[in-house]
Amino acid sequence: MASKPVLTPKLIVRTLLIGAIVIALAVLPTFIDSYTLRIATGALMWAGLACAWNIVGGYAGYISFGHSAFFGIGAYTTAILMQSDFGASFFVTLLPAIILSIAVAVAIGGPTMRLRGAYFAIATWAFAEMLMQLVTVLDFTGGTAGLSLPAYLNEFFFYYLMLFAATASFVGVWLLIERSRFGFRIKALRDDEPAAESLGIRTNLVKVQSFALSAAITALFGSIYAYWTTYIDPYSVMGPEITDQMVVMVLLGGLGTVWGPALGGVLLWITNRYIWSTFGDTVIYLPILGVIIALVVLFLPNGLISLFMGRRRGRELISRILGKL
Amino acid sequence: MDLFLQTLVNGILIGGILICLTIGFQLTFGVLHVIDFAVGGWTMLGGYTAYWLVTLAGIDPFISIFLVFALFLLIGRGLGPLIYHVRTSRYARPDLMALAFTFGIFLFMRGGALWLWSYNSRSVDSVLSGQFLSLGPITIPLMRLSAFLMALLFSLGLFILLYRSRFGMAVRALAQNHDHAGLMGVDVKRVSAWVYGIYTALTASAGVLIATIYSVNPSVGVRYTLFAFFVAVLAGLGSVGGVLVAGLALGLLEAYVATYIGARYSLLIVFGTLYLTLLVAPKGVLGRGI
Amino acid sequence: MLSASHKAESSEYSPLAIESVSKHFGGITAVDDVSLSVDVGEVVGVIGPNGSGKSTLFSLAAGGQKPDAGKIRLQGIDVTGWPTWKIARTGISRTFQIPSLFLNMSVRDNLLAAAVEGDWKRARERMESTLEMLEISHVVDNLASELSGGQQKLVEFGRVCVRDPKVILLDEVTAGVHPNIRQIILDAIQRLRKTGITFLVIEHDMEMVKEICDRLVVMDQGKVVAEGDFETIANDSNVQQAYLGRT
Repeated sequence: MASKPVLTPKLIVRTLLIGAIVIALAVLPTFIDSYTLRIATGALMWAGLACAWNIVGGYAGYISFGHSAFFGIGAYTTAILMQSDFGASFFVTLLPAIILSIAVAVAIGGPTMRLRGAYFAIATWAFAEMLMQLVTVLDFTGGTAGLSLPAYLNEFFFYYLMLFAATASFVGVWLLIERSRFGFRIKALRDDEPAAESLGIRTNLVKVQSFALSAAITALFGSIYAYWTTYIDPYSVMGPEITDQMVVMVLLGGLGTVWGPALGGVLLWITNRYIWSTFGDTVIYLPILGVIIALVVLFLPNGLISLFMGRRRGRELISRILGKL
Repeated sequence: MDLFLQTLVNGILIGGILICLTIGFQLTFGVLHVIDFAVGGWTMLGGYTAYWLVTLAGIDPFISIFLVFALFLLIGRGLGPLIYHVRTSRYARPDLMALAFTFGIFLFMRGGALWLWSYNSRSVDSVLSGQFLSLGPITIPLMRLSAFLMALLFSLGLFILLYRSRFGMAVRALAQNHDHAGLMGVDVKRVSAWVYGIYTALTASAGVLIATIYSVNPSVGVRYTLFAFFVAVLAGLGSVGGVLVAGLALGLLEAYVATYIGARYSLLIVFGTLYLTLLVAPKGVLGRGI
Repeated sequence: MLSASHKAESSEYSPLAIESVSKHFGGITAVDDVSLSVDVGEVVGVIGPNGSGKSTLFSLAAGGQKPDAGKIRLQGIDVTGWPTWKIARTGISRTFQIPSLFLNMSVRDNLLAAAVEGDWKRARERMESTLEMLEISHVVDNLASELSGGQQKLVEFGRVCVRDPKVILLDEVTAGVHPNIRQIILDAIQRLRKTGITFLVIEHDMEMVKEICDRLVVMDQGKVVAEGDFETIANDSNVQQAYLGRT
C-alpha cells in the first residue's frame, strides 16, 4: 500500500484468526491417526494448488485448463533427479523443479496469453495433454510405466512440508496480491486491459509474471507429491484430473478471493476421500465432480465464500469478476 | 507408393466421419455461442448405445444409427434450453460459464461411463465386419467405407436442412446475426434448442460409426473432444463449410502419423498441432472463425 | 485566442506534437495526414461530426493504435510505434468514451491503481486530493460497479488526475452527465492547466467548448478542416459544411 497498513481492529482480528488456524494445524498431527493425517496432508496440498490456480484464473482472469502440466513438471523433475543415476536428495530437486516450471511458463505464457477466454482454455488444455503424451513416449521419464522414488515413510514430515508450502503460498499470495503494487497491476489487467495499459501498466509482463508464479507454486506441490506417493506415472501427475479438480475447487470456493480456494480445496478433497472410503474406489467421484460444477454454475457462480461474505457487495464483486472473464 | 495410397484412403475415410462429428459442434458454436466440452462425451454415448443395441437386441449398428440419431435428437432438444439458459444468464461473459458447465457435463459422462461400464473396450460388431473391398493395391474395409458413406449422408442431410428449409434459414440467420434474427421473428430459444438437439444427434451418430471401426470405452471422449476442437479451430470456430477441409486434414494427419511415425505419437502430434494452430492462427487457417 | 500567458519556459518542445499522422482500417481512412501541436497548459478542443476520426486520433496519440504514417512526439521524444504502456509512462493519459473503470475494485483502489507506475510514495496523498477536488470522497469505498454513470465519469477523470501526466486526453468526458458534475470537471481542468498540464478534449458540448477551450481543431472524415478560436470556427464555411453539409 501507499502507506503502512493501518492497524484496524478488523486487521488485528483477521491476523489473530489466521494465526490461530496455523497453530491449530501445526499441532493437529498429535491428535489424529495416521489415516486422517494423510487426508489432512492431501487437503493442504489441494488448498495450495487451488491457491496457485487462482492467481491466473481468479486474479488475472485467465481460465487455465493446463495446470497439470506444471504439477507434472515438478513431480517428474524430482522423480528423475532422485533416480539412482543422479541420486539427488529431495530438497536439492526443488530448485530445478521450480526453475524448470518457471522457464516453461515464461516460454509459453507470452504467446498463449494473447488468446482470451475459451481460446486460452483450449490452448492450455492442448498444451498440457501434449506434454503428458510427450512424457508417455519418452524413455527417461519411464514412459507409461512411470517412475519410482526412494521411499521415505514419514507422514509427519510430509504433513509439515505441505503445511509449510500451503501456508507460504497463501501468505505469499496475500502479501503479493492483496497488499502490494503487483496486486493492483494484476487486478487492473483482469478488469480492463486497455485501461490498465493506458495507466502505464505493462500488462504482458504482468500476465507472464502471474503465470510463472502460479506455475512455480504448482510445481512445488508436484515435487512434494512425487516424493510423498513414491510412485508417479503420466496419468497420475499430468492427467486432466489434476486440472479438473483445481478448477472446480476454486469455482466452488470463490474465484478471485483469498480464502475461496482454501475452502473449495479442503471441502472437495474431503468429499473425495469420503467417497473413496464409502464406495471403495473413486470412480464415482468423477461424475459427482461434474454435477458439482454444473450446480455451481447454475446456482452458486460466486462460490461458497460469497455465502460468508454475507454482504451483497461480496456477491456482486465475485459475479462481476466472473462477468469480466 | 502403395502404402502412401493406402494411408491416403484410410485418412479420407476417417476424415469423413470427423466431418460428421464436427459440423454439429460448429453449429452449436455459431448459434448458441457455446464451445461444448462434452462433444467427445456425446460421441462416446452414441458408441455405447450402439453397443448395447447390438449386444442386447441384435440390431446392426448401420441400422441402429438411425435410432441413435432420433434418441439423441430428443435428448439434446431437451437439454438445449438448459444450455441456452446458462449461456444467456446474468453473468456478462457467460461463454466461460457455459464452457465450465459443459465441462461438468463431460466429467459426468466420462465418470459415469467409467463407473457403470468400467474401462474395458467394447467392440461393436456389424454384418460388415471383416469384409474387404480390393481396389488394386488398396484394401478398403467395407465397414470403414460404409461408415464414411453414412457420415457423408448425415452431413449432406444437414446441409440440405440448412440451405433448403425454413428452419435452416432461421438457423443461419441466428448464426450470422444473433440479435437481429430475434427481432426478425426467429424464436431464438426454440431454434437454439433444436440446434443443440441436432448437434447431439449428429455427434452421437458419428460415435456409432467410430465405435464400429475402433470400439468404445470411457476414454474415447477425451480423444474425440480433442479431434472436434482440432477440426473446429483449424476450420475457424463456427465455420461449417471449413469443416469439410479441416476434417479431411485431420483424418489424413492421423493416418499418416499412425502409419509412418507410430500410433503412440498420434495424440502427441495432434495435441501439439492444435496448440500451435491456436497460437498462430486462432481464427482458423482461412481466418473464418468467429 | 492562444493562451500565450500559459506558455511554459522549461522546454522548447511541445508537450504533444502529432506530425502528419495517418491511419487506415482496411479500406477506410480513419485519420488522414493530421498534424497538431499543443502548448503547455493549453486546452485544445477537437470537434467534428461522428466518425470524423477524433477518437482514433486520441488512440494514436496515447498508443492504443499505431499510426500507418507520421510521427507522435511527447516532450520532443519520438514515441511513434511504442507500446501503449511505454507511451503512457512518458507522460500522457486518456479517458475512454465508454467508461473503462476497474469495476471489481473500489473507487479508492481504482485511483491508487493509477499511481502504481508513477509516484507510488505519494499515491495516497494524490488520491485524497483528487477525491476532494472532484467531490467524490463519500464514495471512496464503493465498488466502481456500484456508482452512477456520472460518478463513474468522475472516477475515470480522477484516475487520470492521480497519474499527474503532462498531457491529458479527454474523450467526451462530460457526455450525459449532470450539470453539477460537468462543472466540477470544468473547474478541475482549469485548476490543473494552471499547473502546466495540457488538455486535448473531444467534445460535442459546444457550451463547454466555448467556456474552456483556448482553441479548436475541427475534424471531418479524418482530416483537419479548420483551426482557430471559437468565433473563427463558428463562422468557417468548411466547418458548417462538415456538420450540416451531409444529408
